[in-house]
Amino acid sequence: MSDKTVSQSPNLSRRSLLKAGLATGVAAGAVGTARAGGDPLITEIQDWNRYLGEGVQARPYGMPSEYEAHVVRRDVEWLTASTESSINFTPLHELDGIITPNGICFERHHGGIAEINPADHRLMINGLVDTPLVFTMEDLKRFPRENRVYFLECAANSGMEWRGSQLNGCQYTHGMVHCVVYTGVPLKLLLEEAGIKTNAKWVMPEGADASAMTRSIPMEKALDDCLVAFKMNGEALRPEQGYPLRMVVPGWEGNMWVKWLRRIEVGDEPWHQREETSKYTDLLENGKARRFTWVMDPKSVITNPSPQAPISHGKGPLVISGVAWSGNGRITRVDVSLDGGRNWKTARIDGPSLPKAMHRFYLDIDWDGSDLLLQSRAMDEHGYYQPTKNELRVSRGENSIYHNNGIQTWHVKADGTVENVEVS
Amino acid sequence: MSKFLKALSLGVSIAALPVVAGAAFAGDAAQGEKVFKKCRACHAVGEGAKHKVGPELNDVFGRTAGSIDGFKYSKAMIAAGNEGLVWDETTMATYLEKPKAMIKGTKMAFAGLKKDDDVANVIAYLATFSSAAAAKEEEQSSAAPAADAETQTASADQPAAPVSATRDGGVFGLGREALPEEIAAWDIDIRPDGAGLPVGSGTVADGEVLYTDNCAVCHGDFGEGVGRWPVLAGGHDTLADERPEKTIGSYWPYLSTVYDYVRRAMPYGNARSLSDDDVYALTAYLLYLNDIVDDEDFELSNENFTDIRLPNEENFFFDDRDEEPHYAQKGEPCMSDCKADAVKITQRARILDVTPGSVDDDQAAAGGGVD
Ligand code: HEC
Ligand code: HEC
Repeated sequence: MSDKTVSQSPNLSRRSLLKAGLATGVAAGAVGTARAGGDPLITEIQDWNRYLGEGVQARPYGMPSEYEAHVVRRDVEWLTASTESSINFTPLHELDGIITPNGICFERHHGGIAEINPADHRLMINGLVDTPLVFTMEDLKRFPRENRVYFLECAANSGMEWRGSQLNGCQYTHGMVHCVVYTGVPLKLLLEEAGIKTNAKWVMPEGADASAMTRSIPMEKALDDCLVAFKMNGEALRPEQGYPLRMVVPGWEGNMWVKWLRRIEVGDEPWHQREETSKYTDLLENGKARRFTWVMDPKSVITNPSPQAPISHGKGPLVISGVAWSGNGRITRVDVSLDGGRNWKTARIDGPSLPKAMHRFYLDIDWDGSDLLLQSRAMDEHGYYQPTKNELRVSRGENSIYHNNGIQTWHVKADGTVENVEVS
Repeated sequence: MSKFLKALSLGVSIAALPVVAGAAFAGDAAQGEKVFKKCRACHAVGEGAKHKVGPELNDVFGRTAGSIDGFKYSKAMIAAGNEGLVWDETTMATYLEKPKAMIKGTKMAFAGLKKDDDVANVIAYLATFSSAAAAKEEEQSSAAPAADAETQTASADQPAAPVSATRDGGVFGLGREALPEEIAAWDIDIRPDGAGLPVGSGTVADGEVLYTDNCAVCHGDFGEGVGRWPVLAGGHDTLADERPEKTIGSYWPYLSTVYDYVRRAMPYGNARSLSDDDVYALTAYLLYLNDIVDDEDFELSNENFTDIRLPNEENFFFDDRDEEPHYAQKGEPCMSDCKADAVKITQRARILDVTPGSVDDDQAAAGGGVD
């Protein structure tokens, strides 16, 4: 990440977008209206039309166009004491469809990125099993495997917004989520290989990184849909996503998807590790706290327009676009409001609709250029729909940090700029 | 004149540390090794030193500030390097006395060394790892200080064993049986009922010494947390407050989690470096800092461990989000005229704009956290 892109505020990135436009020769204002003598981009022969470009193998591992250099993960430096235990955010406002490209899936580490040679990696299964086992990566690749598309959301996504609107951009308010296709071995097969004892009720994955991350997972979930994955979007996991091996715990909070997975212990009781006591418990207003809040409830956000992606074209046809997901299964419907939640229209879900995966929705409108208070509300197949932020505050107070799936409001102004707001 | 030269000409440290070009460093390297304990949590130095929370410090003298590959410096440190800041006896002394005063925005979360002697000594110690001293180093490389031992990869000197074999038993016959010593090496987790506790013990007084050397730079002398590093003590009766302070004493349900976590992950950047007795002593000291034990002679061991209960244990309960009214209702949500009056904006992000790039870091810290 170049220093320039790091320091860009949303305003600057808007400006750099314009600049990217200028760099290609499109003078601001010239787009759409014919110029006397014609558009030079058409009437004049362009370099790329005359001279040969780079050949094959100039880019043995292809990267995005230089005009996409602003599409990067970003962090909020003041949030944490050190970058090795910190978080950055997926640029949701720059994406479409339902799959997140590997290089911009948000990161959350507790002890930095472990760099592990797969030849040196081992997975151990021990505890209440008939035969404790050690697998190499090669062993794991000899088990039958599955491909599944799942979202992964950090339980603290939108955690900054409990006390009110704070951050201008869906990257920051909602960017601790990504969705990729995983290839891996069902955890069930590995547990069966070791043979689980009848009193086994829980499993605990553990990471090989400097935080040796651990979480307790109930056996029903472990045997249901958990995967031990080694690929994302067809290629090896990225180091920052747990290369060479990670847990996939579909629909449940991201912290449980232990990266750099090296061990799975089987036991009869939960372990109450630091990440399920000190952290990832939800403190309520009365001072009591919920534990084992695993499922990520239905949630959605409009990604375009949004503060980092203002409307640049004035009134007329406008594509309102966003993403929705639920840990309970499929998204059955997304409604969009233009007036801050008074009236709703059902949006169109486009692309695959898979359980516990991201869904893409659109509402195509004819914008009259007036102010909008944009909201989206997701419903899932379990029959839950997204609560308002105020409903959540009434039930939980403002200190629970985790599991804020309240409805987001964007104020779209006549000039096309967008702000994160809260409404009555 | 660059910002840093200016800062230096005003610096109080200069008188204490005259720069004698080419001369040996003024301090005592042996004493400096002790001072370096304060840095060790974040910096490695010596053969095979790797980056930890801070960059490795081999050959730091003569190096442009913020310039070593593979470490993500703060923007401020990179800017200082671009402006010409090079580490020498004088610049480093100024930095180590008050890092944030010299380089506003440095991410070195370290308050500074108060004693001029400590500064001079630690500089002399670091100088023994800089190329000026390299020739001497090579002669006695066998005696080089033990740096992180994790430099060789495990595979390097292992016999070329088959990467995947089959065995009798199991469904697929894949993997091999784990050896007891392998399980013992990795299975170090502790449960609230004491399952997993190793045999051992440590006192509050022992813990205090260990804590001061290994933990206080980040967590503060009283567990109050330095800067944004985690707070470990205090916060009693604040859980229902507007700004609750969640600590071991005020929030954590089980003591086993303290032992387990410190042993697996602390000190940050040098995990698994403490002995089992050290961890008992540190756990005892954390109980003391949290007023759960008040006797400095108190000894925590595998024998009395489960007798200790943390005050907030009873205040956790299983997830019941399903019962919240907005979920319990299920069914069709309202589609039209759902609010009686026209909707008003009640709050704007701009008021408290903490979006990156729009504020000064320190101002923003009040905004809340991710966990
Ligand atoms: C809490 C962690 C921490 C402690 C303790 C700490 N440092 Fe640092 N140090 C850092 C970090 C992080 C940086 C990078 C600073 C930046 O990028 O702004 C750094 C940078 C430095 C640099 C500049 C290196 C370069 O490549 O430009 C020196 C020199 C240094 N530290 C020396 C020390 C010494 C000596 C001590 C002990 C007296 C010490 N530090 C204690 C974290 C720490
Ligand atoms: C270089 C700074 C640093 C040092 C030194 C350090 N810690 Fe930590 N400590 C951290 C960070 C950062 C975290 C949070 C890590 C994370 O986010 O996963 C932490 C977390 C903790 C926690 C859990 C806090 C909570 O509320 O969940 C405990 C307990 C702890 N440390 C104890 C210790 C002890 C004991 C030592 C000394 C042996 C020590 N630490 C040394 C930085 C440090």
